[in-house]
Amino acid sequence: MGTFIQQIINGLSLGSVYALIAVGYSLVYSILLFSNFAHGGFLVIGGYICYYTLNLMGTNIWVAGFAALVGAGFCAVLTERLAYKPIRERTSVTLYLLIASMGMSIVIENIFVIVAGGRFRALPPVIPTTPVDLFGLATTSAFDLLSLVAAVVFLGGLQLFLTRTKWGLAIRAAAYDLRVAGLMGVNVGRLISIVFFVAGLLAAVGGIFLSVRYTLYPQLGMITIKAFVAAVIGGLGSLPGAVVGSLILGLAEMLTAGFLSSQLRDLVVFSLLVITLIVRPSGLFGKDIKEKV
Amino acid sequence: MTAPRPPLLSVRDLCVSYGAIKAVKKVSLDVFAGEIVSVIGANGAGKSTLMNAIMGDVRRESGDIFLDGKPLARRSFQVVAQGLSLSPEGRKVFAPLTVMENLMMGAFPRRDRHAIDDDLKRVFTLFPRLEERRQQYAGTLSGGEQQMLAIGRALMSRPRVLLLDEPSLGLAPIIIKEIFRELKLINEQGTTILLVEQNARQALLLSHRAYVLQTGNLLKEGLSSDLLQDPDIEAAYLGGGHKKP
Repeated sequence: MGTFIQQIINGLSLGSVYALIAVGYSLVYSILLFSNFAHGGFLVIGGYICYYTLNLMGTNIWVAGFAALVGAGFCAVLTERLAYKPIRERTSVTLYLLIASMGMSIVIENIFVIVAGGRFRALPPVIPTTPVDLFGLATTSAFDLLSLVAAVVFLGGLQLFLTRTKWGLAIRAAAYDLRVAGLMGVNVGRLISIVFFVAGLLAAVGGIFLSVRYTLYPQLGMITIKAFVAAVIGGLGSLPGAVVGSLILGLAEMLTAGFLSSQLRDLVVFSLLVITLIVRPSGLFGKDIKEKV
Repeated sequence: MTAPRPPLLSVRDLCVSYGAIKAVKKVSLDVFAGEIVSVIGANGAGKSTLMNAIMGDVRRESGDIFLDGKPLARRSFQVVAQGLSLSPEGRKVFAPLTVMENLMMGAFPRRDRHAIDDDLKRVFTLFPRLEERRQQYAGTLSGGEQQMLAIGRALMSRPRVLLLDEPSLGLAPIIIKEIFRELKLINEQGTTILLVEQNARQALLLSHRAYVLQTGNLLKEGLSSDLLQDPDIEAAYLGGGHKKP
């Protein structure tokens, strides 16, 4: 029983980190209707900014985290301006955006291979990993609880932004119909920049926690594939779907690791993807694709 | 409308192409302050393209557009800020947003909260059904209510010229009558209207002047009352025979 509760908490913790990544990815998808494969790059950028701010400038985690979030947000906006905007303005075929994003993913990864080197780096122990006793039922680590709390805080913040602010309303409108949002007087270029900034920022939060959980290296962004899978299971473009899909995935991984075998984790993850695509291709909260012409 | 005053909205020799297809060919038209002007024509005549080009949603190939003598911007959000707004073809309300949220989207570029509230009251007076359904998702409204919402949403930017693309599309005759009655009222309250319609009779009955568009060319223009009597127009767009409704 203790192991079970422990694995549930570990699963939710891992799932919450996936959720931070999947939600940003889903947000971009909902507006521009393409899979941004460079999204993993944003979390790597966040991780390295945090690493270097901590090590070279000797700041505390709050300053380093803030720098990482804002820095990754700006890099995401820059990626959009450099690689996607010129394509968006010439064609409405989203396949070109998809291919450009694959290219940007390779570019970002290799920038870090050149600048920071390919080796694995451990973040200084800035996030406590001490064991925490849960009412005598199970023990878990403070790190797992903190990543869960961070995800709740940031996803809650995103929810408030989307429902309580003018630009949040515009983003929800644009997710339904970008063109008509433009006709309402929304500066579409600025809206897309805001969306990329938010996506980059959320990815950086995930990136910091992943760097602590595993280690930091230029290919860490590959883990975004899990977030993609989560977003597809939840329903592409749906934010609640991305969160629920992520939690399901995190739980499935940790329960598999706890009760079957750690090596079967990825098998279970991709089996869930295949099952979803067969049984319910639009995902749990999927939008009706036919409505988007 | 013969007084020598400058037009509020003026389109000069506008051309728009989709690849090799010329959708709008050297179209010029004027809308004077306080007027209702309609553009009638069959499906594919280039009416929607004309509206979208004015709104900056479709790139103009050549030609100029002026609002109050000043060149009109080429990007939609700037065009809205300058004082135009469009109720697009097929209504295009934001289905997953509530009626209120749709209306607030219409007021997006504005910051004058109190004036926005005034305009909200105005829209609810024009279309009381929207007020009843203010917290309902736009996707759950009937076609007529969605059209009212699209018009209300366009009014929320307090436009100097309100552009309407096929407000009668797919609606029952009784609802069309209701909506056109409100359009007349909106105009009487001081909003200039440029209307594009396939439903030529309704459009001509409502508007002061009209232009006839055929495969991207301007065929005719004149007072709506004259065009209603024009035998060519009658045969082509009004179904011949029945002179007056």
